[in-house]
This record gives sequence, C-alpha cells and structure tokens, in this order.
Amino acid sequence: MAARDETLGPDRGGSEFSPSLEIELTAEERRAGLAGAGPYRLAARRLRRNRIALSFGGLFIVLVLACLAAPLWADHVAHRDYRDIPGSSETVTKGGEEVFVVGLDGVPIGPTWRGEYFLGADGSGRDVMVRLLYGGRNSLLIGIAATLITTFLGLAIGLAAGYLRGWVDNALSRLLDVIWAFPVILLGIALGTALALGGLKIGPLEVSGSSLAIPVFVIAVVYIPYLARPIRGEVLALREKEFVEAARAQGQGPLRIMFSEIGPNVVTTLIVFFPLLVANAVLLEAALSFLGAGVQAPEPSWGTMISDGVDRVVSAPHLAVVPGVMLVLTVLALNVFGDGVRDALDPRAKVRIEH
Amino acid sequence: MGVPAARTGRGEVIRLREVVRSRPSGKVLGVLSALALAAGTIGIAACGDDDDDGGDGVEGGEIKIAQTSQPDFLDPALSYTVNGWEPMWLVYTPLLAYPHEEGTAGSELIPGLAEDLPEVSEDGTVYTLTLRDGLTYSDGTEVKASDFEHTIKRVLNLESGGSPFYLAIDGAEEYLEDGDPDADISGIETDDATGEITITLVEPDAAFSNVLAMNFAGLVPGDTPFKNMTEDPPPGVGSYEFTESVPNRQFVMERVEGFEDLGLDEGIPPASIDKITTEIIKNIDQQAQDVLANELDYMQDPPSPDLKPQVVEEVGPDGIEEQRYEEFTTSSTYYFFLNVNEEPFDDPLVREAVNYGIDKPALARLFAGELAPGCSFLPPGMPGYDEAFDTTDCPYGDPNDPPDLERARELIAEAGAEGAEVTVWGNNDAPTDKVTEAYTEMLNDIGLDATPRILDGGVYFQTVGNEETRAQTGFTNWFQDFPHPLNFYFLVDGDTIQPTNNQNFGNVDDDMIDDEIDRLRLETDLDAVAEDWTALDEYLISPPQSYIAPYGHRKLALFLSDRMDFESAVFHPVYNNDYSSWQLKESE
Amino acid sequence: MARFVVRRLVSMLIVLFAVSLVTFFIFQVLPNGDPAVRMAGKQPNETQIEAIREEWGFDEPVYVQYATTMEKLFTGDMISYFTQLNVVEEIWKGLPRTLALAIGAAILWMAFGVALGLYTAMRAGRVSDTLLTVLALIGISMPVFWIGALMNHYLGFELTKTLGFELFPNGGYVEFTENPLEWLHHLILPWIALSILFIGVYSRVLRSNVLDTMNQDYVRTARAKGVSERQVLLRHVLRNSLIPVVTLWGLDFAVVIGGGAILTETVFNLQGVGQYAADAIGQLDVPPILAVTMFGAFFVVFFNAIVDIVYAYLDPRIRLEESSA
Repeated sequence: MAARDETLGPDRGGSEFSPSLEIELTAEERRAGLAGAGPYRLAARRLRRNRIALSFGGLFIVLVLACLAAPLWADHVAHRDYRDIPGSSETVTKGGEEVFVVGLDGVPIGPTWRGEYFLGADGSGRDVMVRLLYGGRNSLLIGIAATLITTFLGLAIGLAAGYLRGWVDNALSRLLDVIWAFPVILLGIALGTALALGGLKIGPLEVSGSSLAIPVFVIAVVYIPYLARPIRGEVLALREKEFVEAARAQGQGPLRIMFSEIGPNVVTTLIVFFPLLVANAVLLEAALSFLGAGVQAPEPSWGTMISDGVDRVVSAPHLAVVPGVMLVLTVLALNVFGDGVRDALDPRAKVRIEH
Repeated sequence: MGVPAARTGRGEVIRLREVVRSRPSGKVLGVLSALALAAGTIGIAACGDDDDDGGDGVEGGEIKIAQTSQPDFLDPALSYTVNGWEPMWLVYTPLLAYPHEEGTAGSELIPGLAEDLPEVSEDGTVYTLTLRDGLTYSDGTEVKASDFEHTIKRVLNLESGGSPFYLAIDGAEEYLEDGDPDADISGIETDDATGEITITLVEPDAAFSNVLAMNFAGLVPGDTPFKNMTEDPPPGVGSYEFTESVPNRQFVMERVEGFEDLGLDEGIPPASIDKITTEIIKNIDQQAQDVLANELDYMQDPPSPDLKPQVVEEVGPDGIEEQRYEEFTTSSTYYFFLNVNEEPFDDPLVREAVNYGIDKPALARLFAGELAPGCSFLPPGMPGYDEAFDTTDCPYGDPNDPPDLERARELIAEAGAEGAEVTVWGNNDAPTDKVTEAYTEMLNDIGLDATPRILDGGVYFQTVGNEETRAQTGFTNWFQDFPHPLNFYFLVDGDTIQPTNNQNFGNVDDDMIDDEIDRLRLETDLDAVAEDWTALDEYLISPPQSYIAPYGHRKLALFLSDRMDFESAVFHPVYNNDYSSWQLKESE
Repeated sequence: MARFVVRRLVSMLIVLFAVSLVTFFIFQVLPNGDPAVRMAGKQPNETQIEAIREEWGFDEPVYVQYATTMEKLFTGDMISYFTQLNVVEEIWKGLPRTLALAIGAAILWMAFGVALGLYTAMRAGRVSDTLLTVLALIGISMPVFWIGALMNHYLGFELTKTLGFELFPNGGYVEFTENPLEWLHHLILPWIALSILFIGVYSRVLRSNVLDTMNQDYVRTARAKGVSERQVLLRHVLRNSLIPVVTLWGLDFAVVIGGGAILTETVFNLQGVGQYAADAIGQLDVPPILAVTMFGAFFVVFFNAIVDIVYAYLDPRIRLEESSA
C-alpha cells in the first residue's frame, strides 16, 4: 500500500505539482521550433520521447489485455474455469507422469508449464493461471472503477471548495479532513467489514455483502481527499486569474465558470493523478482482500490469492509468489507511466527519465 | 477470508457448538484410535502400584505445551470446548467417569467420585449414588455430597452451554426460572452424613449416566462463587490442579500429591509429570516448528496443512526420525445439512443426488488428509456404528471411491431441478471455507446453480440456525459429547426444531425417526439396542430419506517432542490427549 | 502565533468530533442486523444479548447510543464478547510493539530515503540515477504484506534451514525487558519490510526537492558569492529540501501508528495494535475494531495538528535565515 506518493501529498510538503500554462521549453525544444505549440502537443511529444515510460505503459496495456482475455485462456488453453475444482481421481500430466492435482496430503502441484495448470494449482485444485487472470480482471476493475468515482467526486468537491470558498469550502474541507484522518487501511477495513456483515441498504438500494461494488465504494471514498485537495489548491490559484475575472465580468454564473473556465485547466492535474490513483487503488484492494475485508469468495482477486498463498508458503510457494509478482508488475507499470506523464506535463521537472 | 490462518494460527476451530435451551445436546471432541494403532501400554507409573510396567518413562519433570487460543473458560461449569476439556478433565472429577484408556475401553462408564455406578429405579427416573469416603479437594477441603447439588446449580445459574443437559433433572427448570442461585433444586437430594445422592429426572433418559460423567458435573467445593472463575479456577479432585491462570497468556497445572491415596477406581490413575505449563501461542506454524525443534512439548491443534507434510516426513509413522506424530480418527461426523423445508432439497431425489455427487476423497484432501471419508451419521467408536455401512456397503458407493456423477445428474434431471439456485453456507475457519467452496462446485457439477456464502465463524451457527435465514444447505459437523447415539440423534430429531438456535439445521422431521429415538431413549442397556441404532442410521442415510449428506470423520493428531515417551501417551475417545498418561523419557 | 495555535486546536477538536461520529456511524448505524446479536459473540444467550442491548443502549435513540459508545470508549469500559477481554487494555498492551515497529522503521526510512534521494539528485540524469529511481519505484509498487510474508518465509524460515542457525527469526516479538538483543533481532525484518515503501517515496520527494532548490535564486547567489559547493549543499539546499520531507514524515509516522502497520504486524506476527484489529476483523468482533479505528484516527488528527503548529513555528525562522545567507 503506497501511503503517499509525492504527488498525492498534502498541501504542504512534497513537491507541489503545478502545471503552469506558460510552458518552459528546453533549449532543444526551442530549436525544434516548438515555441507556441499548445501544452498538450508539447506534453505528448515529451512523452513520446520517454521510452521507458512508454514501454511501461505498454506493459500495463498488455497486462490488462491478458486479464481481459481470461475467458479465452480458460476455455481454450486450460480447459478449466476459475471456479472448477477437480475430482479426487483427476490426474494431470506433469514431468511425464500422471499426478493428482492435489496430493493426498493436500499439497497442490506446482507449475506444469503446459496448457492445463500452467502455473500449477491452488489448495483446492483450481488452475492458478486462470484464477490469476480472472483475479486480475477483478482487481483492475475495482481499481479503475474506484478511481473513476474518486476522480468524479474529488473533482466536484475540489472545484466547489476552491471556487465557492466561504462556508462551502469550510464544510467540504472539514469533510476531507475527516476522511483524511482515517488511516487508509483502517478506513477501508472499517467500511469493508461493516458492510460485509449485512450489505448496504440505502433506501431502495440494496447491495449484498459479497458484491464487488462494496470494495469499489470503500476504495473510492478513501482516496477522495488525495485528489480533492490538490485540485482545490489549483482552483484557489486559478480563480484569481484574468480570464476568470473576465468571465465573471461577462456575467457567467459560478457553475458555468467552474465547468467551462476552470475545469479544463485542472484537467492536466487529473491526467497526472489518474494512473497513480489506479496504482494505489489496486494496492489497497489487494490489502483489503488480503485481510478479508475486500473481495469475497468465490471471486478471486490478487489479494485473496496472496492470502491463500501465504497459508501454503512452505509446501507450495508458487501460490504466494505468482499473484504478488503480477501485482507488482501492474502497479509498477502504472507508477512509471504515471511518472512519465507527470514529467511530460510539468515544466518544472528539470530532469526526466529518458531513453 | 483473508487473515492468513498460518500466520495467526487461525486454523480450524474444533468448536463444541453453542447449545441453548433445547433437549440435551452437545458436541464433544471424542476420539477413537485408528485401527492401525496398537493398544500400547498405558503409562500408569503409580508409586506403590505393582500392577503394570508403564512405558519406559520416568516420574516427574516439567513440560511446556501450547494451545492456539485461550480455552473458552477455565471453569468446569462453563467450558464447552476441546481446549478447556482436555486440561480440565484431569482437574475435576464428576461422580461418574471414563477410564483413561484408548478405544472403546475408554468409553465405558466407571465410578468417579461415587462409590459405584448409579442404582436406577424401575421406571428409570431415580438415580441413587453414594459419595466415596474421605475425599478431599486439591486444597485439602473435604468433599461433601451437597457439593454435587452446588456444582449443578452453578451450571444452571451461570447459563452454561451445558445447562440443557441438566434440565432433565426434576426442578431444574424451576430453579433456572426462579433466578435465585441459593434456591433448592427439588430433584436433587443429598445427605452429607451418609454421602447419599438421589437424583430424580423429569422423564427417563438412557443417556443420563453419561451426562453425570460430563465435565460440567466435575465437583467443586460448595462455597465456589456463582461467577466465571477462569482467572482463579476452583479446586477439584484430580491428578492435577490449576496453580496459575493468566487468560490469553498461559495457565499452569501441577500434579496433586497424594491423589493416589484417595482410592479412586484404577481407571483414573495419578499423573507422572509434575508441572505442565500451557502457553497460548496464536501462530500454529510457530507451534509446529517448535515441537519439531523440541522447544515445545505438545501442541493441541494439528499442524497446519502447510507444515504437515514436513512433520509427517520427519516424525510420522514412516518418518525419518523416531515417531512422535500420529493421527487418530475421532468420534465425529462432518456432513452437509439439507433443508427439507426449502427447494430444491424438499425433493428426496435431489437429496439423493447430492449424496451421489459429493466427492468425499476430494474433500478429505482439503483437510490435508485428516478426514476419513465415510457414509454413516454415527461415527466410529459409537455404539451402533457399523463399519461396513460406513464404507463398502454405503448405498451411494464406497466413500473412498470417486463419486457417481452420472447417477447424480440423472437424479437431478429426473427431479427437474436443473439450474435450481442454491446458496451454500459456510464459515471462514480454515478449511471450512475451502470445503464450502468445493461443495458448491460439486453441486454445480451435478446440475444445480450454487454460490457459496461464507460467514464469520463466530456468527455462523446462529445464522444458519435461525429459521429466518432459510439456509438451504451448508457446512456442519458434530463431535460426540459422550459415547451414546442420543447425543448425535437429537440433531435430526423433529422435536428439537426451534426458530432460533436450532441445531437440526435440515429441519429433519420424520415420524419414524422421532418415534425410534423416543423408544430407544428408555433403553438403558445400550449393547442390547446397538443394532437398532444401526438400523436407524441406515434409515436416515439411505434413499429415499437421504436427510443429510455426510462425508467423513475427522482425524486429530498426537504430536509430542522427543523428550516425551511417545508409547505411553493415551488418546482418549472422549477427552482427546490424556496428560496424566504422559511421561518424560529420561531425567534431564 | 498564539492565535494560529488556538485556531488549529479548535479545528482539531471539530475534526475529532466528526471522526467519532463517522466511526460510530460506520459500526453501529450502517450495517444491517441486530447489533446486540452481532456483538454477542460465539455463545450468545438471551440474557447476554439483553445485557448488551442495555449496556450499549441499542434500544435508545441514536444520539444516546452515540454518547454511550463514546463514554465506554473513553472510560476504558469496553469489552469484546468474543475474547472476554477489555479492549482498551489490550490496545495498551499492543501499543509498545506497534511503537517499536513504527519508530524503528521511521528512523530507517528517513535515513535511507534522504541518503538515496540526495545521491540520486547528485547523479541526476546518469545511469545510476535511472536505475535507483526504478528501484525506488519498485519499492513503492510492492505490497508490504506480500514482500513481508516472503521475507519472513525465505529469510526467516528457509534460510535458517539452509544455514543451520537463525540469521533472521521467523516472526514473533520478544519483549525488550526480556531480552533486548532478541527484541532487536525480531524487529529487523519487519523494519525493513515496512521501510521499503517509504524509502521509495521519500527518496523521490527529496530528489525532486533538491533539484528544485538547487536552481533557486538564493542558491545561485550563494554560489556566486563563492561559498563552497559542499556548504551550498548542506546549509542551503538540504535544509530547505528537508522541510517538506520532515512534515511528510510526521504525517506518515502518525498514519503508521494509527493503523498503517496492520499489514506488517500481521505478517510478522508482532501482536501489536494493528494485529489486534486485524484479528478482530477476522471475527467481525466490533468493539476492538471500533476502538482501534477511533484511536488511530484520533492519533492522526492530533499529530497532524502538532505538526502544523511546529511547521508554522519553524517557517518564519527559516525565512529569516534565508535572507541572511
């Protein structure tokens, strides 16, 4: 669980991310005749030159595609579904021999490096590769969905607090303070546990305790302050600018100003935060599932797989290692790519990871 | 659920299930040795007893043992778990007891603090016993006949999980309702001068002698307060006494000098080891590693499935080193309940299909092999148990063979239950959660549409025992409280169904079964009617009744350090490992 | 300054109150089902459920329930019905362990984070910078419970088997009063596991700050004046770069104590406050989770306020010093 990446830091401390509209070009870029180019075009160009960030971005895409292709693997390669539990008499060819998927003493087989049980079996005899891909689907789905919700709510709150100021700002900032006060994991556990008990009942809306919507909701709420605060900071700065004054003078209402004038200018912040938020969300989901407050059986997630794997780390270490490696690769890819995006958009970063 | 069982020691909690006001019921960890185990010598190294040889062990010494969680209570009136009964059995002795022997020998009743087995009246409602002379508690207090009534009062007044057993005594209900701890129980008459104790029951109950032998009725002094004495356990009559109790850290038992002079039945021998310190170590893997490394002398729970292969390899029966690990099949049955009041299990064809379709060896593997696949409801060691019916003659095929999925699917099709939605209930005590998931897939395999629903172990049984939940099917198990079939059959007795805290999860309500239970309840000679119990078992399990889906009997382990004399250790069918039989190999 | 402090403390109290409301809401109001039954534990009987209902006021209106819950929490009168133990007492028992873990790790990650950050800043743009930055990123990307579990297993268990002696112990905690050396021995792996993440974050923050500061005007002025590179680095650049890092450190430390150490404690079986909460989660045992969440959040809010005050106090002084450079 990444506690705080520097771009997700509080209002003070950390290097403040503040894309200015006046882009400072490097000497090389000036030579290339890019003076006067729009900020996004410039950023895109910078990003394109950042091979490392691009390759990790590609890695992320590959991982997502692989997880989306889970049913294909399950049907055509492994011939097993992620819930399939083999019969006691079923055997599988491994190393030229026919062996039980799960031994009589309960120890499952390790990777066979063939279609069936490519990465071995878990304690119940299920195909690890299949569960890994389906689990990835769940973990990524939850991570991305939660981040989308966080983005929406964080943007709304940040805009409102920063622009409207006064008691709205006070109230919203206190709200953010309260969410912020709860250590991320505790809040996640608290909500996840309370809701896992009996599900959620808000008026007509009823969600069962084992629905995936619950971890999504929990993670989304937890990360709102991470986004809302920087946005609020930016809005505070932006609202004093001339073009906003002009809009006000023209008689545009606050809502209109918030959305059409200020909004687009904070989009860059959103773009930078998004991959990093997804990375954190995926890690938080894994942590919650590991502790039992996230995804519930029989749905897999990388977190539940690591939890099961740790139980068998002596007799079947592959069960703990495999989902962890996938998780690290995914989060790393997002972090590196997110870094690259930030470097491309932030003119203050003097040195970037290039080539 | 995610908290890793291995790391925090949250393994399968062998839980004696919560029991509330219903007919006598209970669930005890009974143990019966596997056929492979030789009888072994019982380490009774009694001073001055010239009878036997004992093991090769020596007298005295101190050992350190571990449990994974604090016993529910260190108070005989309240404790209802293996953690509690295993040590307390040696500290508190009831009027009747069991010999410290393995196998069926350990299931026979013998006099404990009473002089003899009870005299039962013609109509079976009056039990008369006489207290032995000259008995004293570990603190020197004299044992009086009236202490028995006080002991039972504590069980009732403290609302112990065991109180339902004693509601069979006339006046007990009234005492409970009265709420006055010092009131009298009309059905118990005691005379301190003569030592005579007369107990009158509300109605005859063939299992009442066993109830008198339960740990709940372990005598305590008449001035023991009416409160949970866990932090300062009362004295008792036994080979050990509690000398220290720090909840959640440790408790200490020390050998009682002069116990052998009390002249109890030879089936209740004095102990050998002087001092046993039980530490609460939450991490099961830590315990297993420590016993392997001989830094710990015994662990009560079996090693986790993760470490078991290593343990078996090193110190198992065919291990590299000298054997100090062994598995025993207990008198328990693991089964799935099938709610006859809910679709699709109201259809006998579907229930039959489930029995054909579950893969018992596959489920056994989830217990790391510590489950003997079986077919009967009555477990091994129980009078009435029929091994043939449990294995080769099982109507659904030998449980050790793969299931007959074809037949199961046919039956589902015949019943028109394809695609029927089923919620399968389970809890998160490992490996119950995995067992529940596996069972769910087995149901899917035969044509149903099942999803698992895993609850926390602490709320599980209350939830499925609540009629509002309308649980269709799910995990359950039962360990014997005492070796009498009545102890199992209340679970399928239509008369015990109640809206909350129901134990008959499947709502089995069959007149034939109910009537047989009522008839056999009056038969005090168990040997004579054992066959009738067998017949009842066959009726319960076989189609078209197929009321439950049993899949096996649990095995537990004895795992000792190499300081201990493995041969002399006794594994008791009711009370698990007998500390008083333990000896150290040689002085250090 | 005084006004600032007062305002900050008032604000803190408001937030604390709000935190207590939210925690109460999450546990008592939000879930379905009968709260008394939920709390009653494994062997509930009617009398006990009734007793719980009365004690916690579940029949009363919500605000009375809230007051009761708060009172029980702060008078230390809260018992978990699953373990029969007093919740606040258990938290006190686990606190030294959590503190030992948190403080040790905090020192470790600060030291290494700063060192690594400085080093990579000095070598900015070179291969070593790129490599170390990627390493830091890997550190940020690793879930602490996974790397901790693997470290515990491979270094604590497997390595011991290979070497024949215990280079690293296999989890567990030894009281300092019992055996200081073993206490340290058992904390090494947990400290490392917990620090990895933060070292990654802090090195990058520091690197970024250092690079920013190095190009500030006043630094250029100092260089122009002829101050040695080393002096420039230490006196001006580092000190200014450290300020935001120190405040960040304060916050993270509070978070770790407040509950962020749960995963590390669980994996290494340290039996601290975090693990106490994690075990309670496994049982859905409400009182401990309630108490730990509340106290954890309180600690964070309180610590935040202190840090804010300290920061405000430090700030003007530093500004003064700058202008005299």
